[in-house]
Amino acid sequence: MSVDAVAGPPQLEGIDLSDRDFWVRPPAERHAVFDLLRRESPFAFFAEPEVPLLAPGPGYHAVTRYADLDAISSQPTVFCSGQGAVSITDIPADLNEFYGSLISMDDPRHAKIRRIVSKVFTPRMLEQLVGSVQQIAEDVMDAARRKADAGDGAIDVVADIAAPIPLRVICDMMGIPDEDRALILAMSNIVLSGGDPELVENQDDPLTAFLEAGMALAGVMERLAAERLERPTDDLTTALVRSEVDGERLTHSEIASFFILLLVAGNETTRNAITHGVLALSEHPEQRARWIADPSLTRTAVEEIVRWASPITWMRRTATQDGELNGFRFRVGDKFLLFYAAANRDPAVFADPHVFDLARDPNPHVGFGGHGPHFCLGAHLARREIAVTFRTLFDRLPDLEVTGEPDRLRSSFVNGIKRLPARLTGAR
Amino acid sequence: MSRVEVDRDRCVGSGACEALAPMVFEVDDNGVLAVLRAQPAADEVPDVRDAVQACPTRALALAE
Repeated sequence: MSVDAVAGPPQLEGIDLSDRDFWVRPPAERHAVFDLLRRESPFAFFAEPEVPLLAPGPGYHAVTRYADLDAISSQPTVFCSGQGAVSITDIPADLNEFYGSLISMDDPRHAKIRRIVSKVFTPRMLEQLVGSVQQIAEDVMDAARRKADAGDGAIDVVADIAAPIPLRVICDMMGIPDEDRALILAMSNIVLSGGDPELVENQDDPLTAFLEAGMALAGVMERLAAERLERPTDDLTTALVRSEVDGERLTHSEIASFFILLLVAGNETTRNAITHGVLALSEHPEQRARWIADPSLTRTAVEEIVRWASPITWMRRTATQDGELNGFRFRVGDKFLLFYAAANRDPAVFADPHVFDLARDPNPHVGFGGHGPHFCLGAHLARREIAVTFRTLFDRLPDLEVTGEPDRLRSSFVNGIKRLPARLTGAR
Repeated sequence: MSRVEVDRDRCVGSGACEALAPMVFEVDDNGVLAVLRAQPAADEVPDVRDAVQACPTRALALAE
C-alpha cells in the first residue's frame, strides 16, 4: 500500500461497497466504514457492481446492524433466498440454482433437500470423524515442517496449512479420489474468486471462467456419481445419488450443484477462518500464549476466530412484499445484503467489538449466518476443523512465525487471504 | 415438570441442540430431530435451556 493511501476517518458520501478495490483495504479501514454505516445509515443504498454480460439491477441496501440482519434472516418468507443469495446481480434462474444450490432456494424444497445431508453433519456423525481430522492435521503439519526444513524455513500458511486440511476433510467425506483434488481446489478457488485478477485471467469475461470451473467440478461429480450408483459406499456422494425427495431422485443437475456447494463451501470458508486465526494470533501474542497454556479455552476461542474472520462477508435476501423493518420501509423486490462482518462488530451486541478476545462469552456471532433456515450446514464440522487445527498447530509447529503481510482476495463475498508468508524458526 | 416442544416447520436438523444436550436431542438417520426425552430430568434442564437458546432456527421451546 502506498503511503498517501493512509486515509482519515471515512465520510459517508465517499463510501461505495460495490467498489471491488474496497475489499482489499486493510480490515481496520473496512471496519471503520462499517461502523460509520451502522451508526449513520444502517440501510445504506448502493448501485450494483458491474458484471460484464449481465444487466445491472436496481441496487441494494447494505444491512450492517446485528438486530436488522437477524430479523431479516429469521423471516425467510418475507426476505427470500430464491432470487439469489450469493450474487448481487440477478443471474439467470437456472444458473442461480446451479451455483447456489440450497443457499439460493426457499422452503419447502430447501428443507427437504437439506435433510438429505443434514444427518451427515450432526455432532454425532462428526464425532466419528475426529480421529481422521486429527490425523489429517498432523500429516499436513508434518509436511509443512519437511518443506521448511528442506528450504530456508519459509512456508505459506494458506498453501501449506489452511488450504490442505479442509480440502482433505471434505474430499474424504465425499469420496473424491486423490488425483482429482488439486483440480477441486483450483476450481473452487475460481468459483469463489469474486473475479480476482490473479484467479480470473480474462477480466472482460469473468462469467466464462466461473462457468468453466463449475463444469469442471460437475465433470468430476458425473464420473464419481456413476461409480457410486454402481458400487455404493458410505460417503456423502453415495448419500446424494441415492437420496429421494418426495419419492423422486434428485435430478442430475441438482446433484451436481449440491456437490459443488459442499466442495466449495467446505473448502473456502474454513481455510480463511484458519488463516485469519493464524494472523490474529500472530498480531495478539498474549492471546496465543493464553490459549496454548489453557486448552479449555478452545470452545470460545473457535467462536471468536469465526466472529473475527467472518469468512463469508455477506449473503443476499430479496423482499417478497412491501413492509417495514425496525422503522425502515421497504418495497417488494428490494435487495438486502446482510453484512455478517459488520454485524459481528456491532457494539450493541458485542462489548469492545474490535477487541480479539478468545475468552469472549457469550459470543452470539453470525459468522455461520443469522437465525433462520439457512444457518450454516457445516458449522459443527468447521468448529471441529478449526479446533483440531489450532491445537495441532501449537503442538507440532509452535515455532511458526508470520513474516509478512497477507495477500488479500479482491472479493466482497469471501473475506479471503490468498497467501500469508511465515517461517518455522526451529525454536521450541 | 418441564416439557420440550419442537416446531417441526422450523427445524432443519442442524444438531445444535444435540451438541449441547445429547441425552435429550438426536438428529436421526433421516435428518429428522428426535426428542429422546420430552420431559428432561431436572439436572438436564440447564443443558436443554442452552439448546433452546442455541437453536439456529428458533424451533425449540421449553415449557416450564
